[in-house]
Formats: sequence, structure tokens, C-alpha cells
Amino acid sequence: MEREERFLELYLDRCTAQDDLAPPGLPLLSPVAPYDVYIYNSSHPEAVFNSHLEEVKETSGGFSSVDLSFLPDELTQENKDQTVLRSKGEDEENCKTQSPQSKLPLSSQRDVGLGANSSSSSNSHSHLHPGDADSVQHSPEKPDTLPLASIAPMTPMAPVSEGSEIVPQLQNIVSTANLACKLDLKKIALHAKNAEYNPKRFAAVIMRIREPRTTALIFSSGKMVCTGAKSEEQSRLAARKYARVVQKLGFPARFLDFKIQNMVGSCDVRFPIRLEGLVLTHQQFSSYEPELFPGLIYRMVKPRIVLLIFVSGKVVLTGAKDRSEIYEAFENIYPILKGFKKA
Amino acid sequence: MPGGGRCPDCGSTELVEDAHYSQSQLVCSDCGCVVTEGVLTTTFSDEGNLREVAYSRSTGENEQVTRSQQRGLRRVRDLCRVLQLPSTFEDTAVAYYQKAYQHPGIRAARLQKKEVLVGCCVLITCRQHNWPLTMGTICTLLYADLDMFSGTYMQIVKLLGLDVPSLCLADLVKTYCSSFKLFQASPSLPAKYMEDKEKMLSRTLQLVELADETWLVTGRHPLPVITAAAFLAWQSLQPSARLTCSLARFCKLANVDLPYPASSRLQELLAVLLRMAEQLAWLQVLKLDKRSVVKHISDLLQHRHTLIRKAFREGTLEVEALEKELQGRGPGQGQGKEEVGNSASELPEGKRPASPALLLPPCMLKPPKRVCPAPPASTVTGDENISDSEIEQYLRTPQEVRDFLRAQAAGQAATSNPNPP
Repeated sequence: MEREERFLELYLDRCTAQDDLAPPGLPLLSPVAPYDVYIYNSSHPEAVFNSHLEEVKETSGGFSSVDLSFLPDELTQENKDQTVLRSKGEDEENCKTQSPQSKLPLSSQRDVGLGANSSSSSNSHSHLHPGDADSVQHSPEKPDTLPLASIAPMTPMAPVSEGSEIVPQLQNIVSTANLACKLDLKKIALHAKNAEYNPKRFAAVIMRIREPRTTALIFSSGKMVCTGAKSEEQSRLAARKYARVVQKLGFPARFLDFKIQNMVGSCDVRFPIRLEGLVLTHQQFSSYEPELFPGLIYRMVKPRIVLLIFVSGKVVLTGAKDRSEIYEAFENIYPILKGFKKA
Repeated sequence: MPGGGRCPDCGSTELVEDAHYSQSQLVCSDCGCVVTEGVLTTTFSDEGNLREVAYSRSTGENEQVTRSQQRGLRRVRDLCRVLQLPSTFEDTAVAYYQKAYQHPGIRAARLQKKEVLVGCCVLITCRQHNWPLTMGTICTLLYADLDMFSGTYMQIVKLLGLDVPSLCLADLVKTYCSSFKLFQASPSLPAKYMEDKEKMLSRTLQLVELADETWLVTGRHPLPVITAAAFLAWQSLQPSARLTCSLARFCKLANVDLPYPASSRLQELLAVLLRMAEQLAWLQVLKLDKRSVVKHISDLLQHRHTLIRKAFREGTLEVEALEKELQGRGPGQGQGKEEVGNSASELPEGKRPASPALLLPPCMLKPPKRVCPAPPASTVTGDENISDSEIEQYLRTPQEVRDFLRAQAAGQAATSNPNPP
């Protein structure tokens, strides 16, 4: 009985740790009424806890032997938020009620899955989600009537992209800066080797530096546009170098108001895409005119990014002010594109 | 009228516009004094009660139809008549033009853009009624540049917030092929080149559908594909007589412009047909090439659904199988082919040479022009020190400046004296 109490303490300690992290623990009980069928079985708590702890140790290593049959079919298509919510909800009720022996892999799953909450299984979190994605064939053992509206939303841990390991590469950054002094473009073009100035064609000096490889347009008002850098830091460094060149030419140039105006990224999803199908289902966002341009122009609303999607699977993302917008836009478009993978 | 006018008698601002025997008057509602009467004659004191409004700020500009808008509307109607569109299209196109004209960006645009706008409105109307009209046709009729047209078209679609459906391929095939001059005997057309319209149309349609399913149409201009398909269909209907005719000659005979990409589309379509022929047992033994496959197009089209379905299904299986060892299955493949009967539906499963090329668009099959190396992870922070020497490499020394000025002066002198003495 003493051993039993100690195991019970251990188990409940873990549950209370999770309770602290979830804001309203109590409302969870009422929606999970279907789960109240699992009555507290006092005769086998020891055995339950033993196998529970063993399961946790086992699953930290790998997921091949684990029973994922509890995961419903719809889990893969649902929002990652809902995945975490549902698992959180089920975990809560597992702590409160005793699940029968057959459901133990479930509770250990959930413990393991919520890496942010349980300290013992933080490393296994990354395994759970591919497991989710693979379990499409398994029918749900538990009724998935868990109303998620009543559960307080929890911030998901890391942005899980349902298996997309592709990261868009930044190709171009456009930034502006203010040198805060009037410039004599003719003098700049005369004294600088890397400058070209053709007033009849364009009213600015076009200057280039080799490292980082960028081009700048310098106007007589002192404003400057810097293009061609591959990262935000490189763009800032390049803009500073241009300001230094102008300084060395004798102007009282300063370096003010540096701002990144546009970022362009690109990536390859590696499968062909049926653009005609995509324009039919996402008509309000897409524009596909093969007579004019071979790619589909997708104007995403959140984040406000324009994507050029080509039949070869290459995607160009532009219009971002921040790197995270490009990543977010790609994570949003990837599941849509996967839907058009084959005819 | 709440316009800042005051009644000269009682000083109230409650002036009401009224009509007395169809002559408009401004009357004070408090004392009944007639402030202004009519529009034609006003006394100096009357004018003091009115406020001068610039024409651009008045509502007159919006109510009246300006001359250039009238001209534009006339052009829209003319274009619809030239294209022989139904009368309902005319009204829709005119409505679009009027709606577009309300936007200040369009109202202030150049005449060239307004001309192109006419074409855009007609195109949008046709697309929404699934009438197959290409942008090339409109640009030819309007003598407009396709770049100008595309810019205006994208702008107006965004401005009006329209959902324009895609070009209907089947209807375009019918319209385009009907324009070929091959269906009636004429002195310039040899007898063996004349063809029945229905047969050619149906076969062209089947070939275009085949091209669509095998990634030859996505992302490309539809017209060259249709030209290539029509050519193949025409050839296959009487191969013995027509194999010697080239694509260019065919277009000249049919009195149709040969679009530049049509020849490469033709090669791609032939490659697809050859791959399909490899999957049919009785054609495998014939060892077809690009010219001889034309004779068997009717066979291939008859079984195209099965062949494509098998190709797509087998393509994925093959891709997975390629990752495993295939050597052991090599000797088994030859025997599998011989066992197959003549029925097309009994295609042997998994015992065919891999044809993953059928599954991908041509742009994915070509080797990449240049390999883009991943940029090395840079550790730039943006706030590093910039050395003076690095900046000085970009500056000219005073001697270089003098040389440069001298060279510039000499160059200018040379250009100002083009004729040597």
C-alpha cells in the first residue's frame, strides 16, 4: 500500500505540473463526459503505474512498437493547434480518471507528446507528430467528440509543418537608407570607380560593391536604395559601406532610417503542381493566365505575401518585410500544394 | 440648399432649391424670399449667394459622359460586332468599361491605355461566358502590344475585383480548328490534303486532352499545343499521303499563322505518344520512331485512358521500386512482355520498363541549366567595422580623375566632329 501511494504521488505530481501550465483545468471535465466511462480501478493501480512508467521509458527511444490506434483519422488534416489542444484535453482527463489497461499507451503517448509540459519526454516530442501524420489508417478507438471550443487555446511549441522540411532560401533583400545630405551626383560619378551615372536615362547614381555583392541607387536628395543582399545583416552592412564611400568622397553623409522594404525567397517542393486545379479551388487568391505568364500568382492574405507557383514545383515568395513572413507563407501554402500533387 | 448661402432679407441659411414653372429657384424657407432665380440671368448680388465650384470638384464630371468615354464605349460596341459576339456580350462589356472609367486611375490614363482597356473589357466578358477568345486575337485587332495589354488587364481585374475563369480549352480547339482552310477543295489545296472537319476536330480534341493530362499544357500558351495536335491529327488520318508534309507547310496550307513554340510542342507530343506505344505489346515489336508512330495514333488514342492511368500508377510504383534493387527483376521483364495478349486492358503489372518521364512536366525532365550552390551560412552581423582600405579600392586617385576627364573630353570632341577633315 505504501509503494502504491508513492507511485500515486509520482503520477499525480506529474499531472499537477501539467495542470499548472494549462489555464482552466476544471472546464475540461464537463466536456469530457464521454470519458467518464473509465471508472477508477483501485485494484490495479500498481500494475497500471508500473507499466505506465515503463511505457514512458520505452517510448522515449523510438516509436515503432507504440500503438497509435487511438489517433483519429482527421488528426492529420486538423490544425496543429487542435492536435495539441486535443492531446492536452485527453491528458487532463487521464490524470483525473483511470484509464483501463488497453489505453495506457495512449496516456504515455500523450505524456510523451506534450514535451513542453512533461520534463521527462521533451526529446520525444519531435517523434509524435510524424506519428500523427502516419496514422491515417488507424480508426479512432475513442470517440472524437471532444468539443475544443471550451478548452483554452495553448500556444503550440514549435511551428510544426506536417513534414515539410523545406526552408525557403532568401534570394534578395531591398532596403532603403537616408544619408541626410544633398549629394552632387556628377562628382560622385567622377570620383568613384564603381559608379555609373546617366542623367538622361535615370536620375540616380548606380553604385556597386563586391562584398556583399550588392547594387545601390543613390539619389541627389541623399536617399539610397540597396538591393541584392542575401540576408538582412548583409543588406545593412552593404548600406553602411555605401554610406562610407559617399563619406570618403567628401560629403557629410550619415546613416539614418535603415529599413528593409522587401524580401524575396524561393524554394522547391519537388513535385509537379496542377495549376489549373489550384486556380479553380483558390480562385479568390490566385491568378493564372498561361497566355501571359507560365506561373500562378497567389496573393496570400495572412501574411500578406505574393507567391509565384510554377508547374515544376518551384515557388517564389515576395513582398515580405520580415523573414518570418516568408516562412509562414510557405508553411501555409505547402499543404495546399500537396493537395495538387497528382492529377 | 446647404451651401453657405444666406437669405439677404432675414439672413437665415435655410435655403431650399425649388422650381417655379420648371424654372429653378433658390428660396429662403423662413421668409419666402427668392434668393436666386433661374440659371441664365443672375445679378451681382445673386452671385454673392452662390459659391464658385471648380468643374473637377463638381458632380457634373461624374454625371456627364465625357467625349473620350463615349469614344471608348463606341469602340467596345464596334469590337463586339467585329468579333460577331452575341448582343448580351455587348451590354456586359459596355457596363465593365463604364465601371472601369469611374476609377480616377483609368480616367487619367493615356489614350493608348484606354484603347487597350476596350479589349480588356471585351475579353473579360467573353471569358465569363466561356467564349474562347485569346489575348493574341484582341491584340492583333487593336494593334496593341501584348505587354501593354497584360498590364492593363491585370490592373483592371484587380481594380474591379473580378473572378475571371480560365480559357476553355475544348471550345478554343473547336473555334481554332474550324478556322483552318482544309475542309473545302480549293486550287491551292491538293486533293489528298483535304480532310473531314468532324473527324479532324474529334481527333484534335483527343490529342489536346492527352497533352493536358501529361503536363504539356500547364503553364504554356494553349494555342501552339492545339496547332501541334491539329497537325498530328490531320497527318494520322491519312499518314501515307501526309507524312511528307511539314508543320510549316501545313499551317501555310491551312492559312493559319504558325506560332513559334508549336514545333517544340509537336516534339513533346510525339515523345508522349512514343512512350505510350512502348506500353502496348503489339507496338513494342514494331520499334516505332517519331515518324512511324503517327500511323498508330488512332490505336494509341483509343486506349489512351488506360495507358495514362497505368503510366501514372506505375510511375509512382516505379519510383518506389527504383529505390529497391531492380536487377533481380530484369530477366523477368522480358518474359512478361511476351506473355501479354492483344487486349489492351491486360497490360502486365509491374513488368514494364519504367516510364517516369511520362509523369513530369518537360521543364522538370530537362537537366538544370546551372546548378545553384547553396549560399554558405554567413556570419555577418551588419555592424562590423568597415576598413578604410576596402572603401578606398572604390575611389579614383586624383591622377585617375584627371585621366578620366581628359578621356571624356576627347571622346566628346570626337563625337562632335563626326566627319574627319
